[in-house]
Amino acid sequence: MSMSPVLSVRNLTTTFATVDGTARAVDDVSFDLHAGETLALVGESGSGKTVTALSILRLIPTPPGLIASTAQVQFEGTDLTRLRERDLRHVRGAGIGIVFQEPMASLNPVLTIGLQVAETVRAHERVTRKAAWARAIEMLHLVGIPDLEQRARAYPHELSGGQCQRVMIAIALVCRPRVLIADEPTTALDVTIQAQILELLTALQREFGTAMLLITHNLGIAAGIADRVAVMYGGRIVEIAPTPELFADPKHPYTRGLLEAAPRLDGPATPTPAIPGAVPPATAWPAGCRFHPRCSKAWERCRTEPALLDVGPERTARCWLVADDNGSES
Amino acid sequence: MTDPAPRSPASPPPLLRLTGLVKEFSVARGWGRSDRLRALDGVSLEIPRGETLGLVGESGSGKTTLGRCILRLTQPDSGAVEFDGIDVLGLDPPALRQFRRRMQIVFQDPFGSLNPRMTIGKAVREPMEIHRLGELAELDQRVDALLGEVGLDQSFRPRYPHELSGGQRQRVGIARALAVEPEFLILDEPVSALDVSVQAQVLTLLRDLQQRRGLTYLFVAHDLAVVRQVATRVAVMYLGRIVERGTVNDLYAAPQHPYTAALLSAVPHPDPTAQRDRTVLAGDAPSALHVPSGCVFHPRCPHIEKDERCRQEVPALRTVGRGTVACHHAGNRG
Repeated sequence: MSMSPVLSVRNLTTTFATVDGTARAVDDVSFDLHAGETLALVGESGSGKTVTALSILRLIPTPPGLIASTAQVQFEGTDLTRLRERDLRHVRGAGIGIVFQEPMASLNPVLTIGLQVAETVRAHERVTRKAAWARAIEMLHLVGIPDLEQRARAYPHELSGGQCQRVMIAIALVCRPRVLIADEPTTALDVTIQAQILELLTALQREFGTAMLLITHNLGIAAGIADRVAVMYGGRIVEIAPTPELFADPKHPYTRGLLEAAPRLDGPATPTPAIPGAVPPATAWPAGCRFHPRCSKAWERCRTEPALLDVGPERTARCWLVADDNGSES
Repeated sequence: MTDPAPRSPASPPPLLRLTGLVKEFSVARGWGRSDRLRALDGVSLEIPRGETLGLVGESGSGKTTLGRCILRLTQPDSGAVEFDGIDVLGLDPPALRQFRRRMQIVFQDPFGSLNPRMTIGKAVREPMEIHRLGELAELDQRVDALLGEVGLDQSFRPRYPHELSGGQRQRVGIARALAVEPEFLILDEPVSALDVSVQAQVLTLLRDLQQRRGLTYLFVAHDLAVVRQVATRVAVMYLGRIVERGTVNDLYAAPQHPYTAALLSAVPHPDPTAQRDRTVLAGDAPSALHVPSGCVFHPRCPHIEKDERCRQEVPALRTVGRGTVACHHAGNRG
């Protein structure tokens, strides 16, 4: 993937002022998202994946949040971190769509779903109400809302969770954005509905050529639909690789631990090996490699932090074990 | 609708036996009218002592109501709950209070189920005080022993729930349930709020406790991959009914009900090279307010032989091969 990326994040650092001190929720995160690809941002709670997504669109409440001035978010030739709020509002929704985890909480309870989709069109394009409504109906049809004539005039509480998430996807994609950020889009849904929504997302993405930044804690979901995976731990990206390579040969001990811990339908029917300990709070990341207190392979050198090291074409990992001068591991 | 599960004559009587449990709720619709919501529709189950039954189903399938009926936190409309030969539904309040020592529940959200203003030590001690177990002087020792058993130590005694991680809080929830030395635990989605790396820790703890104390578990979960790690038998619920029952080995290898098959195929698989035949179910999650006629699953059923009978006639749970399944077409697939 040598073409220029649609979204390019550089040195993104987002901090929050808390009573316990400054929390470095996202710390020096850089990655590229290419046209049409799906990049999964995988990590456990507190790893910084949602704050990364929100920081891209500057949806971080400031204060207490603060995006460091060193950060750059290049989208279609502009740096979103420097954009005026007015101009940024046109990027949100039109250039970059976003789908959140809780569809019920993200929809306006007092507007019909048809109006909410139409409203998005009217916010970004100079079209008549009638034309916007027609676009809304078309989009709701594409996301598979049944009985459209009636449903378009329904309120969110009349819809199931899965249908609400379909509406959210309609809102996010109705202006044909080049990038879709999906933050745990199926976590609140049942497993059979989750399968439907994932299928819908990938189908629409293919049809529109949208690039997707998928935020998930579920390695199975990442394996199923991502082209590349970035693993986050402690506010940092610890490994990025094309999906098949990451799952076949994880380089970072944390990635390996996560994969071993993930429950699966094949493999032995006993509890999977856990990673000892817990994620430390963002106000007190350990010095050096942030994973080293929980890492079975940790050694002296892990008290200083490695950079993201190249471990192959399009692959990087933040671990001394993969350093050239280390030699103890191939 | 009741169906005593077949048992070989040699097997001991089950610790828990549910027969034909029915529970309806009334849901207000406004203007003084209400709808009937049938949460449980004739559920029969048995759990042998020392085993783990995994109860699987999506939201609204009735699995939580079933757990509450067993504990008599909710009174079922009809049916029977038999625990170690005792008719649980027939117990009078003092007897019920005594009896509750024998079965406890661990909830999904350990933060919501712990009192935020009570120290961990006090939270674990409270059930022993309520049930007047042991001398007050020795309770602190017992608290320490319990904390040790769940992988915490006495330094946690003066701490408050907000100072703990999700996994640690769930350990406290387990210690609290164990404080009255029950024989049977209902584990209601005990790891679904936890991160993957921590889930495995808690599952391992539950397995160790079961072996050490000879506990019997009802493990309620929506995640089939997790259930497989801890359960010996599985029951699949859909709209208040058991649609399939079997051992973990049989049910996962050869699901007989189309719903079980679809659930299994919907589990995301952490392996990008896995080529699987995915059955993505059409249609919405079902609502217990509008239970379909005939087989409750028929509107979403992808089975190729789906016919008029499925729409009209409720399939009974019957033995097919080594499992038990409620589907007209089970067993005659070729």
